[in-house]
Amino acid sequence: MTRSGWVGAIGLGLLVAMALLAPVIKPRDPLDLVGRPLLEPFADPRFLLGTDALGRDVLAQLLYSARVSLVVGLAAAAGAIGIGIGVGTVAGFLGGRVDGILMRISEAFQTVPTFLLALALLSALGASTANVVLAIALSSWPATARLVRAEVLSLRQREYVDAARLAGLGPLTVAFREVLPGALQPVVALVGVTVGAAILVESALAFLGLGDPNQISWGVMISNGRQAIRVAPFLVVIPGVCVALAILSVSLLGDGLAARLAPQRRYLS
Amino acid sequence: MRHSMSRRRPALAGLTALTLAAAMCVPAGVMAQDEPIQSGGTLVVAADGTSFPANLNPAIATSNGVVYISSKVVEPLAEAGFDGLQPRLATSWEGSDDGLTFTIHLREGVTFSDGQPFTSADVKFSAEEVWSKLQSFGRIVLANLDRVDTPDPLTAVLVFSKPTPASLIENALPVVTAVLPAHVYQGTDFAEAGGDSPLNQQPVGTGPFVFSEVRPGELIRLTKNPTYWGEGEPYLDEVVFQVLPDAASRAAALETGAVQATVFSGVPRLDLQRLDALDGVSITSTGYEGLPYQITLDFNHRNPILGDVDVRRAIRQALDPQLVVDTIFLGQGASVATGPIPSTATDFYTEDKTLYTFDTAAAEAALDAAGFPRGEDGTRFALRLRVAPFFPETVGTGEYVKQALEDVGIAVEIVAADSSAAYQTAVYTDHDFDLSINSPAYRPDPAISTTILFQGGLDAGIPFSNQWGYANPALDQVIADGLTTLDTEARVELYREFQRIIADDLPNISLVDFRFTPAHRDQVRNLGDNPRWAVSNWSNVWLAAE
Repeated sequence: MTRSGWVGAIGLGLLVAMALLAPVIKPRDPLDLVGRPLLEPFADPRFLLGTDALGRDVLAQLLYSARVSLVVGLAAAAGAIGIGIGVGTVAGFLGGRVDGILMRISEAFQTVPTFLLALALLSALGASTANVVLAIALSSWPATARLVRAEVLSLRQREYVDAARLAGLGPLTVAFREVLPGALQPVVALVGVTVGAAILVESALAFLGLGDPNQISWGVMISNGRQAIRVAPFLVVIPGVCVALAILSVSLLGDGLAARLAPQRRYLS
Repeated sequence: MRHSMSRRRPALAGLTALTLAAAMCVPAGVMAQDEPIQSGGTLVVAADGTSFPANLNPAIATSNGVVYISSKVVEPLAEAGFDGLQPRLATSWEGSDDGLTFTIHLREGVTFSDGQPFTSADVKFSAEEVWSKLQSFGRIVLANLDRVDTPDPLTAVLVFSKPTPASLIENALPVVTAVLPAHVYQGTDFAEAGGDSPLNQQPVGTGPFVFSEVRPGELIRLTKNPTYWGEGEPYLDEVVFQVLPDAASRAAALETGAVQATVFSGVPRLDLQRLDALDGVSITSTGYEGLPYQITLDFNHRNPILGDVDVRRAIRQALDPQLVVDTIFLGQGASVATGPIPSTATDFYTEDKTLYTFDTAAAEAALDAAGFPRGEDGTRFALRLRVAPFFPETVGTGEYVKQALEDVGIAVEIVAADSSAAYQTAVYTDHDFDLSINSPAYRPDPAISTTILFQGGLDAGIPFSNQWGYANPALDQVIADGLTTLDTEARVELYREFQRIIADDLPNISLVDFRFTPAHRDQVRNLGDNPRWAVSNWSNVWLAAE
């Protein structure tokens, strides 16, 4: 894997460690009002990164936020990629009218910017973590679908596919067991981007007040800190840096994995 | 900050809460006395909140969030002053000894902005058809209004079917009595159409300004009424309410001079000291003395757990309002509340009632005793909390209440509301909540807008009223008696009893009394010259050169 891929892997590893170790490092509920409001970072050893406008521990919030951001990012990306693979495979393999209908649907989704669609869905569904995952997944599957469809289209004429069909396998079995595995490799490159985008959308939604109000996340932290941006900019900067690092890490890792798989693919074809 | 306030300069180095408090006591208008008035110009006000309600008719919609705009267009009979009422459309008034009539003498030579004269017929129409029927506060204060007699064009006599205390009507004049032109409104469908009627979207009145442009979600522009009755007034050519949903950007707009004033919670509390230290910008809570607000925790009594008074008392003991004052209000302009009537309302307030203290151990013991022990997961029961998104302080208090109740084993889920309208529908119409953080305003008499928060048997959908499913016949009797008791002392005693019943029964919890401290540019003159300045007509406001 490339060097930048390793950097991404280490970054993501750190984030996962933050998320897993949160209850060990900070056993108290991160939303408890524990200290004087607006303590600067490093001013009080109990609150290494300071406190927010309500006197809540910034470090504790940051650690627990990693959980929400990663879980939402991964779950939403998994959902988007899952829908995309299903739709793309069926459309590409069956072709014809089914392909036409599915692609028109995906175009309908694509004409609305991902973020606006997620915003609209969430306004209708109500703000909760599950709905955030659902909204992001439903608004970002078309890219994967189109990519998979293109791959499936190029693979479905291959001889081994014909062979499978002649062997008596049903069309769906052929599509998902024979054609899909070959079409998956470019999707790996898309995973990093999709996860990164999902983390960003989650933060942006939370920033706009559409995150789950019962859970802290980096976007919520930025949204809360915005009011105090002129007197305590660290409340916005610290979670902002975390969002940037998380997206950078998954993107680098995704690129690294894709680069590693690419030569193999060339060899195969 | 104004340089003319030189006595503040030495203290600037350590701008403590004390000097801040002292600075707030200097009425901003005082320094402007000897300057020549400069007419003209546009005052741009950063509008609090994300959008304006469609119905801006102050004769119907009396919440301060509406009236701070519409009060410039439709005037009341009298306005609050630092030394008693100031006459506006009425010049004098007196109640009869039997409390059955209240005579109002009207100002001569006043016309509506369409040029038609203002007469007692307009007062009759407004009182009989609008205030007493369509307005939530007017329906209470004028509950026993039988009719309005108009012996001559400048005299209106309110005639009551039951004795009604004159002091109540006087206290209600600035809040309830925005006068609409009968010749414009009578015979139209403005009452049924509500926010869909152009007459409610851009109401017509006698005020110093008229509506000239309403762009929903963007701005409301008021322009000078050239035929205004005030000599030489208004001084401004235009008042623009510019929607700036984000508090931090409102502060930035004030700094750059893009807006000249903010109102209510216009700028973040955290930013106040920084803004006050800037040249050309000051903060003040002068002009908000008559607009006291409260943060309350309301219970949905339809939930059998919350219908239990022991649970409500335990919840009160689990909460520490002093922490809300110190942390969320930064100790400024706020104090611990003891009941629905704020301690600043000295004419009615009493401390002779049950007072609670913050005691989590007692709260836990009481919850155990009430039959709600902690379960295996440490939780006694779960509640859904809706938080009014009106002010940053309500949102912060909601987060505090969640944490504090979870400390005693009550799981709390905050249900987000993305707009004030969504919150109001959920709570006041659909009753879809267990707990609610709200922020009612107190008005000069408990009967105007406070008793409605406790009166039983109200229809669903009335905003800022008892939609909690609470009914207490003893309390209802006290509320009803307060409307018909003429003797001032007896009436005050009734409202003391009202406070005692509420302190015992805790239909809701009053957490914090507070006052707003907005920021403005120093060039705005006559700002804060009456105790309800934000919701007064601003006819004498002018802009000095910067």
